[in-house]
Amino acid sequence: MKHHDWLGLKVELPRKRQLQLTILSFLAPMAVWCAISYVPWLWHPLYRVTDPGSVDYFIEDMDVKRADFEHELAKARAAGTALPQGYLTNPIYLPAPHKVLRAFYYAFKTPPRLPNEPWLHQSLGHSIRTIFLGFVVSSVFGLPLGILCGTYRFFAKLQEPFIEFFRYLPAPAFGALCVAVLGIDDPPKIAIIFIGTFFQQVLVIANTVRKVDPGLLEAAQTLGASGWKLVRRVIIPASITDVYTDMRILLGWAWTYLIVAEVVGTMSGITYFINQQARYRNFDNVYAAIAMIGIIGFSTDLFLAWLGTVLFPWKRKSRSAQNKRAWFAWLRPKMAEPIVQTIEPVEDKPEIKLHVTQ
Amino acid sequence: MSLSELKLPDYREQSPDVSARFERIRKRPIILKVRELKKSFGSNGNTHIVFDHVSLDVHRREFICVVGPSGCGKSTFIRIVAGLDEATSGEILLDGRAVAGPGSDRGMVFQGYTLFPWLTVKRNVMFGLQMHGKALDTAEAEARQWLDMVGLAKFENLYPHELSGGMKQRVAIARALANGPRILIMDEPFAALDAQTRCQMQAYLMQIWKKVDVTILFITHDLDEAAYLADRILVMSCNPGRVAEFIENPVPRPRSAEQFISPEFLALKKRLEEHIHPPVEVPEKLPMIKLTEAGDEVE
Repeated sequence: MKHHDWLGLKVELPRKRQLQLTILSFLAPMAVWCAISYVPWLWHPLYRVTDPGSVDYFIEDMDVKRADFEHELAKARAAGTALPQGYLTNPIYLPAPHKVLRAFYYAFKTPPRLPNEPWLHQSLGHSIRTIFLGFVVSSVFGLPLGILCGTYRFFAKLQEPFIEFFRYLPAPAFGALCVAVLGIDDPPKIAIIFIGTFFQQVLVIANTVRKVDPGLLEAAQTLGASGWKLVRRVIIPASITDVYTDMRILLGWAWTYLIVAEVVGTMSGITYFINQQARYRNFDNVYAAIAMIGIIGFSTDLFLAWLGTVLFPWKRKSRSAQNKRAWFAWLRPKMAEPIVQTIEPVEDKPEIKLHVTQ
Repeated sequence: MSLSELKLPDYREQSPDVSARFERIRKRPIILKVRELKKSFGSNGNTHIVFDHVSLDVHRREFICVVGPSGCGKSTFIRIVAGLDEATSGEILLDGRAVAGPGSDRGMVFQGYTLFPWLTVKRNVMFGLQMHGKALDTAEAEARQWLDMVGLAKFENLYPHELSGGMKQRVAIARALANGPRILIMDEPFAALDAQTRCQMQAYLMQIWKKVDVTILFITHDLDEAAYLADRILVMSCNPGRVAEFIENPVPRPRSAEQFISPEFLALKKRLEEHIHPPVEVPEKLPMIKLTEAGDEVE
């Protein structure tokens, strides 16, 4: 067994260790949270009063500062009156993990307090729809424009300086304007996500497309490709995997604009839910909702990463390529290719049998 | 014994077989005619001439190697022939027609691997055929034929990243030839390969060339490679680039690895060496920097 260094410079870690570290990256912050929540002498700056005793301003279920509580306790003890009872606790805005976990379950089960309020799943659905529409509208324009700018210097020089300028205008600054133009419902929210995403998208994709290996273009030219064929058959496929990665990153950015977008006009979606729950001081629900955004974003990205390996078989390591190609064939029957047996690529010397057409 | 003491024949001496062969080649039609080609960079006053007065005639099915010291513009020269660069002045005629821009009558194999990574080996070879609007099944059949010729028929469904360097270049050759070019331009195609694979690839290329009606223009910096492959060797000189000599290779065909030590081969190579590596003036008294212990000095 070869000795592996955990901290080898630019050395690929074995799969098992990668997995261990992935789990640890989630477990470490969780452990800190658990420690703060469950270990009484860690932080816990407050006392939750269970019995006011003789202290006249204490009420049951009231949180008082530790020093105040201890002061009153000493006073009561000295006076020989009924002692106040209580236990150490954290402030209400830091609920314990189990409460948040429970909230995950109950948040979906609890009917909203007011009859016209949405359920959590409705709020989430609303948010996902907003972000999806914003991102799709942005991509419909941004993707072709980005590819155009990346391919032709003409369009790059014509478009990019202005986009570069516009990129610095913060999307939320357009909130009032969007509401004035598009009303108070969903359209201004979609517009904010559009503004936040589109300009970055054009620049990022144009840059990626520009990075296509010129050798491939030259090779294609000597094979007779030119003009639009060169774009469609070489530039787009050559950059598609990197563009796909860009899109994944941009979708992450779109999520960050969501919360800003949703406070524009009438508050809606997950932001509305979070806000209401915070108002009711159900901080466990607030945490659950925030975590939900993270989970949705993260799992979407994982799904897209997996989808990438299905869509772009040439980016895979050769070992698993064969069985996944079957998948691809199923997805796009036109491209179906016979599945070949796994062949070790060996340099062999073939006999040359020829039928040359001359 | 030093090389200068070695009794070598003149590199211009040809055995009757060889001279008869060149006689036959000269009778073939001229496929590529280059006249007074010049390439320079920069505008008035501050120009750098890469090469000028380059003229040559290449006969059909000839194997031409271009050698020269680095920076003599041999790569630029064949990029101009391929249509990827523009000449400053002069003309290139392929089959009597002036060359303008890249075209499928000139196939090209590059030093770097330029297979399309998103296409399987077969689809790579089909690329040029499809560009010319061939039907999918005809293109596929032809691609198979060419892959068969370079011995990669069973790898047709692999992606380029699954192939070794030599195999990639064989696919690149198949891809270029599938287009039916009149002339195959190769820009140091084997330079990135290890020595063994390179030898193998040279043998492959010779076999392919014998079977396909194609003229080859081959750039290399490896003099052995040039002497082993070429009918004629175009030697370019530096600053500015010129045709120093266009040598008829005296080594008889068929070629084999044993010829690497034949007198003709050595004579040719000596001549090439003289062109490429002129005696370097090393100052007699180099300042001595003491880095070693006494007694460790190199001779």
